[in-house]
Formats: sequence, structure tokens, C-alpha cells
Amino acid sequence: MNYLTLFRALAPEVILLLAAFVALTFDLLLQHSHELQQRMRIAGVFAIVGLLGAIVLLIQQAPVTLLGGTLVVNQLTVIFKIVVVALTVLTVIISIEYPVGRHVGEYFATVLFGAIGMMLLVSAEELITVFVALELTSLSLYILTAFHKGALRSQEAAVKYFMFGAISSAFLLFGMSYLYGVTGSTNLREIAVAIQATGSTPLLVVALLFILVGFGFKVAVVPFHLWAPDAYEGAPTPVTAFIATGSKVASFFVLTKFVMLSFAGMPGSAFWKHLTPGWTMLLALMAVASMVLGNLAAIVQHNVKRMLAYSSIAHAGYIFVGLLAASVTGATSVFFYVIVYALTNLGAFGVVTALSERVGGDDLEHFDGMAKRAPFLSLLMLIFILSLAGVPPLGGFFGKFYLFMAAVERDSVNFGLLWLVIIGIAMSAVSLYYYLILLKHMYVHKARNEERLKTPVYLNLTLAAVAIAVIYLGLNPQPLLALLKNFVAQL
Amino acid sequence: MNIPLGHYLILAAILFAIGLAGALTRKNAIIVLMGIEVMFNSAILNLVAFWHYKHFAVPTAQLFAIFAIAIAAAESAVGLALVIAVYRHYKSVDVDEMKELKG
Repeated sequence: MNYLTLFRALAPEVILLLAAFVALTFDLLLQHSHELQQRMRIAGVFAIVGLLGAIVLLIQQAPVTLLGGTLVVNQLTVIFKIVVVALTVLTVIISIEYPVGRHVGEYFATVLFGAIGMMLLVSAEELITVFVALELTSLSLYILTAFHKGALRSQEAAVKYFMFGAISSAFLLFGMSYLYGVTGSTNLREIAVAIQATGSTPLLVVALLFILVGFGFKVAVVPFHLWAPDAYEGAPTPVTAFIATGSKVASFFVLTKFVMLSFAGMPGSAFWKHLTPGWTMLLALMAVASMVLGNLAAIVQHNVKRMLAYSSIAHAGYIFVGLLAASVTGATSVFFYVIVYALTNLGAFGVVTALSERVGGDDLEHFDGMAKRAPFLSLLMLIFILSLAGVPPLGGFFGKFYLFMAAVERDSVNFGLLWLVIIGIAMSAVSLYYYLILLKHMYVHKARNEERLKTPVYLNLTLAAVAIAVIYLGLNPQPLLALLKNFVAQL
Repeated sequence: MNIPLGHYLILAAILFAIGLAGALTRKNAIIVLMGIEVMFNSAILNLVAFWHYKHFAVPTAQLFAIFAIAIAAAESAVGLALVIAVYRHYKSVDVDEMKELKG
């Protein structure tokens, strides 16, 4: 390997790093001569240019594996890196109008650092890199959560997020140390070979358990979900969008890699009446708990961001059902769902960002009569919320359909995973209730103040583009599905 | 004197448990951070012990340990910064007093 190949493989990340430093430096130079709003726009444009540059470089990348799996570039990782970068672009766009305080350059630079962490996480097939990338992502997100300097709840959310996150990282590292000790390698593929040879040993079971605890925190599944509602509610809304989408996409991708690649030798069973220990059984229990608790707890929430936090816990549960299928169809459906879910959620949080800043809060009451005050954004919110609820023909419906299909197909003789699908469908029905409560507030309740809300045109257009993507993925999911299915073998 | 691998693993497991107990039961945010640090260090001890006894030929675990130490340091830096930010508001580092967000 020479340094030129390394540089080529890392070029998208390097571009983002440069963009982050440019945004930082320029903001430092401009901070006395320009208004806060102008600085936000300038730094935001630098960030977006860097991100678009990264997408261009990603499209041209040739497949390569460097340093024993430290950096893997293939079509599948490129697709997911593009998704992460696109989500970051949207996060930056919805951040530009948001008052994050006077540290403008730092804000956008930290967003980009987080994006770099997520990209490295997607392309890592080796324990050390996975851990470093995960920490780069998490540390950036802790800092971003605390960015609302004036708001007490932002600081508090950051501390809670950090405490849970750091403990989960320690669990992950401890699990990884056992995994290394037993298998003698940090490469996920070599670990898989070693596990196939030895079978399941007590230390491996502990390693598996601890690693699942670590990732369980990152993707917020019950019982490791406690940080999510607080962090989602307290963080600045664009940051909430970033936590709920970008970091979820990257974490789910690497979690899928872990369970389907490394731990393929100790699957256990999640079939009804045949539960045997292994990762599928653990995942099944977490999936059931997440679907039930996430959906039921969301019903009683008064804050929109908190409600969406519980709904995202429930969605993590649905995704686990697809993961349990442990097949090509399963992995394809998981990837498809993660992408649709991330787009939809980013759109929903984008609308919440745009509206809550103008009405002074993000409780359900603040959204009363929104359909009259901001008809266009309310229409977009309707699309996003119905997609989250899984109403056809939107993207969310087909995503969920494929997840449950994959789970049923897994055992088409005895339908061993059908119990999970039944719980999932029942809980989706429950979720419709609280999603409709939000829509009822927007469309049926009378506003206390009928004044029209003005939102910037670029924001409306961006969110409209996201909504169109969600509708398109519902009407025509085949191209993306076929693409993912072709490349899943590279996992 | 030859200490077997098992002793190191037991020590690391005990340290992990002590760290976790400290992180979960203490109210003072600084002590919670110390608990987390102990958890990280127990994992690093595991890595080095496994490398020395079982996989001496390739120094992967040494690399891993050094990265983990650096990350633990970054983690505490961010953690302390956040605790200071909260302290400015509450004039206290008691995690039980943070009750603004709930439900």
C-alpha cells in the first residue's frame, strides 16, 4: 500500500475535514465584521460545498480494502456514505436559520466531524476503527447537544446523553477486548472464521452481550433507551435530527455487520417455542420491548420532539425484526428501511425546526392550527408523519412491509418469527394513534393566533425535495431495493 | 513468579464492576466520570493481558490499548466540559438535581 491509494480511499473524508477547518477559520475572521445571521449562512455554505464535494468523490471511488479491513470501500459502503453525507447536507440546511449561539464556525465544524465519524464507521471492518469512529461520532454529538448555551435543558440533555453514552462505550470496549482475546484478531472477517472454528464459549457469550449493550445504547433500543427522549427534547432541533438519522444509519450498518458477519457462528434462535441463546434471541427480546414500550410511551407525550424520540425507539424495534431474519432479504430490508426512516425523520425534524422557532416552542399545543398558519410545511409534515406511521403508498409502508416479509420468509414452514411480526403490526396500529394526535393538533385544533408564518424559500424547497423522495421510495421502491440486494453480498 | 492470565481477567472484571457501580450509584457527576474511567481502564487491562498471554506475536492489542487510552482521555475532556456547563446553571454537580427533562 502506498500513501496515494490511502489518500484516494480517504479523499471524501479529507474534503470534509478541510471544509470543517475552512468554516472554522472563515468564521474566526468574520466574527467581528458580520452579523450572526450572515455568518451562519457563510459557514453553512462552506459546509454544504464540502459535503457536495465529498458526494462527487464518493461516486467516483474504486473498490479497495486497506490495512486489513481498517478502511473498506465497496459499492455498499459508498451507498451508505452517500446517505450519511446527504443527511448531513440536510442537517446543515435546516441549521442555517436556527439560533445556535455565537459559536457558528464551531457548530458547523462539529457537524462535519460527526459526519466524518459516521463515514469511517460505515467503512470500518475492524474493531479498533469501529471503536474510534463510533467515539468520534458520539463525542461530536455530545458537544452538539450542548450547543444551546442559553438553554438549561440543552446542557442537561448533553450531560445525560454523555453519561449513558460513555458507559455504553465502556461496555463496548470491554466486549471488544474479550472478542479480541478469544479470537486473536480485530478484523471482523477473521473473527467470524475463529468463531466458526471454536463455536460459542462463555467468554464469547459475554463479549456478544457487552457489544450488544454498547450498540443497543447507540441505536436506542429498550432497555438502553433512557437517554433518547431527554437528548432528543433538549438538543437544538437540527442536532436532534442529526442524532436521529445520521448516527442511526451508521450505527445500524455497523451493527448489521457485527451480527451477520462476525457473530454468524453463534446465532441462537428466536423462533417461537424454540428460543435458544445467541444474538437472534437477544435481539428478539430487545425488539419486542422496544416496539411495545416505545409505542406505548409515545402516546402520553406532550412534546413533539419527545414523541418522535419514543417513535424512533419503536422504529429501532421494527428494524431489529428485519435483522433477525439474518438473510439477504433481511439485510436488504433493514438497509432499505433505515434509509427511508432516516429521510422521513429528517424531514419531520426539519419541519419541527422551521415551525417551533417561529411559534416559540415544540409542545403539541404550539402546533395548533398549523395547517392555516403554514399550509405548505403542514402538508409536508402530513406526508412525513403518515410515512412514519406506515400508511401506503409512502416509503415507510413498503419499508415496514419488506421488514416483516423478510421475518416471515425466514422460516416459511413453521413461521417461527411470526410472533414478532404480529407484535410489530399490532404496535404499528397503536403508533397510528399518537401520530394522528399530532396531525389533529395541526389540522383540526383552532390556532390561538391565526397569523401566517413565513419560512425561507430554500428551506421549503429542501423539505419538499425530501418529501418527494419519501413518496418516490413508496411508489417505486424497486430500484433502490435491487441496488441494495445486489451489494448486500459485500457485507 | 508467574501470574496466570485468569488473574488479570478477574481483576479487570472486578474493576469493571466497581466502575459501573460507581457510575450508576453516585450522585456527583465527577465521581460518575471517574467510574466511567475505571470501566475503560479495565477493558484496556484485558487487552494488554490477552496480548501478552495469548497473541504475543502481533502487537494489535497494543495499538488498540493506545487508541483506547487516547479516546478515554478525549471522553473525560468532553465530559468535564459538559459538567462545567451544567455547573454554571445549577451551581451544583449533583446529577439528581437535573430534572428539567422528564416524562
